[in-house]
Amino acid sequence: MQARLSQRLTQVAGALAAAGLFTFLAPAAQADTVRVTVAYYSDQTEPYFKEMAAAFEKANPGNTIKIEMVNWDTLQQKLQTDIAGGSNADLAIIGTRWLLDFVKDDMAEPLDGYMNPTFKGRFIGAFLAPGQIGGKTYGLPIAASARALYYNKATLTKAGFPAGPRTWDEVIAASKKIKAAGGYGFGLQGKEIETDVYWYYSLWTNGGDVVGANGKAAFASPAGIKAATLYKSMIDQGLTQPGVTNYSREDVQNLFKQGRVSMVISAPFLAKQLKKEAPTLQYGIAPVPMGTTHATYAVTDSMVMFKNSKAKATAWKFLDFLFTKAPRVAFTSREGFLPTTREEATAPAFADSDTKAFVSLLPTARFAPTITGWEDTAKAVSDAMQAVYLGKAKPADALRAAAAEADKALGK
Amino acid sequence: MRRSAGARQPSQTRLNPWVLILPSLALALFVIGYPLYNIVFQSVHAVSRFGLIRGFCGLDNFRQVFADPVFLASLVRTVWWTLGVVGGAVLVGLPVALVLNQDFYGRGLARVLVMLPWSVSLTMTAIVWRWAFNDEYGMVNVTLQRLHLISGPVHWLASSTLAFPVEILVGILVSVPFTVTLFLGGLASVPGDIYEAARVEGASSWQQFRRLTLPLLRPFINMAIVLNVIYVFNSFPIIWVMTQGGPSNSTHILVTYLYERGFRLGKPGEAAAVSLIMLLLLFAATALYLKIQPREGGAA
Repeated sequence: MQARLSQRLTQVAGALAAAGLFTFLAPAAQADTVRVTVAYYSDQTEPYFKEMAAAFEKANPGNTIKIEMVNWDTLQQKLQTDIAGGSNADLAIIGTRWLLDFVKDDMAEPLDGYMNPTFKGRFIGAFLAPGQIGGKTYGLPIAASARALYYNKATLTKAGFPAGPRTWDEVIAASKKIKAAGGYGFGLQGKEIETDVYWYYSLWTNGGDVVGANGKAAFASPAGIKAATLYKSMIDQGLTQPGVTNYSREDVQNLFKQGRVSMVISAPFLAKQLKKEAPTLQYGIAPVPMGTTHATYAVTDSMVMFKNSKAKATAWKFLDFLFTKAPRVAFTSREGFLPTTREEATAPAFADSDTKAFVSLLPTARFAPTITGWEDTAKAVSDAMQAVYLGKAKPADALRAAAAEADKALGK
Repeated sequence: MRRSAGARQPSQTRLNPWVLILPSLALALFVIGYPLYNIVFQSVHAVSRFGLIRGFCGLDNFRQVFADPVFLASLVRTVWWTLGVVGGAVLVGLPVALVLNQDFYGRGLARVLVMLPWSVSLTMTAIVWRWAFNDEYGMVNVTLQRLHLISGPVHWLASSTLAFPVEILVGILVSVPFTVTLFLGGLASVPGDIYEAARVEGASSWQQFRRLTLPLLRPFINMAIVLNVIYVFNSFPIIWVMTQGGPSNSTHILVTYLYERGFRLGKPGEAAAVSLIMLLLLFAATALYLKIQPREGGAA
């Protein structure tokens, strides 16, 4: 018994030694490991990047791509900890609004040296621009989205707007009819991330702006007061869901999926969720309702390369691969984003009416400006709007206070 | 280490205990000291959103924080939060522990049920409660409506007047298991024969509780208060998950304020300053409490 055991141990040891030997004999050619920090968009994200990593490793033997997946909520925290500890990845997805901080801290590698005109030409110009600072390109648009009004076809047809409301007045008219029929008209977000953006829809379409040309807060304007008063009056008349300050973006979308709220402003990915979670719900997509002008919000997320990366050549190769047609089409269609490169935009996957509806809004799209203090502004505006929605402050006072708060951080 | 024992021995043996605890002392100093050094360092420097040091800035971070009315409001709210949750946990925990200490059919099951919330992560509990307090389809509103106690949905988390008390209630709920465990340990150490003696002398059950149980439990109550204050003061998930300190900053406590500064607004320097202030406050509160409590032999 004991003899047999020791015999087995020798065998195991031999096998281990052989395995070790082979590891040393593995190709010694350029063997880079590229670490990529990736944000969680949906349950599709990780499988997608794992597939891309495997495809790339197959085409470039010896190289390893390591995907590190993080939740959006903790992404900034992870990057911060990694960077401070000097253990950051080679590539990372970041919110484009953080890019300025990356450039200021000299952590982002300018990509212009790697890009030739053909590579640059792959992109839809409007989506590449937010990743450029001071004439240099630091971030490539990995994900892009815009916003539009989703409406419940059944209730809006009954209310007399079968093609969806075109203006805020029509939103109010439709909501009154829907309310009379026992539902909630307009879904208003009043909690957590993008509470500010939900109000910008009203601000922009009423001709206002968040940050002025002088880099100072510009939202405490007559347009701003009009926009805030519009939402507040809708709350007071019971045209929104009650208790708006308890509704995050997901909560409002859930009410829409359940058919309780008839209109909600959201991104293309809601269409994907609706098809999966509420297949019987008939929805339409219309532009963000108009006040005096058309506007929508467009957001990009960027892929950046870290300056301290030791595998820049291979990292770039992987970037180049990610931004070719097939990987782009797979990513964008699976996640429900908008195409950011010209080639992918021609793919049949994006010929559906939903994507087309969003793409057609891009000419009026506003991007978050690359300016320091954008997050502070978002926070100040969100706080102000919550106070207005709760009736704790008058729109003019709340906006003035928020503008003063935002000016403390803007451009600093 | 008692002085009288040391005095009888030559000086060499007086050093022995120090030598013996030196490894763990060094480890503890390193584990506590390095982060502390780091926080002090960050708090007096301008730090970028992604953690790079941009230069020495003296007490600027502290000045910024103290000039922020939200910080001061959060400070006051932290006191209410800690008092509410710790007070509630002790007040609820004590009778529960007394009941669970009695011999009754199904006591094992009852003990498991009381302990159960402890085994679930705090974040998960908070998420479950966030759903439970949802306006339209939350279990709380649905139940109350079915019982005809309310006519329409109550907006629990929409404003701080309800949201903050609700958060305190959830805080109490998750602190009760730990508190009960402490108390049960204390009750087990109380000898049964003194109650027998008291009964013979004709003491009522209230008198037995007042004169025997409570004084003997005192060290355990003290411990429950001190430990709970430390946990609750620093407790992040409940408020962050349920309201993120909102609406309009009206449910922030210091630790959620700190998180928002550091990881949402990208001001790690100010966040470090807040965490230092919190550390000092906690130190002061604990020291003060231990000082005003009369010294007890044994557990305390």
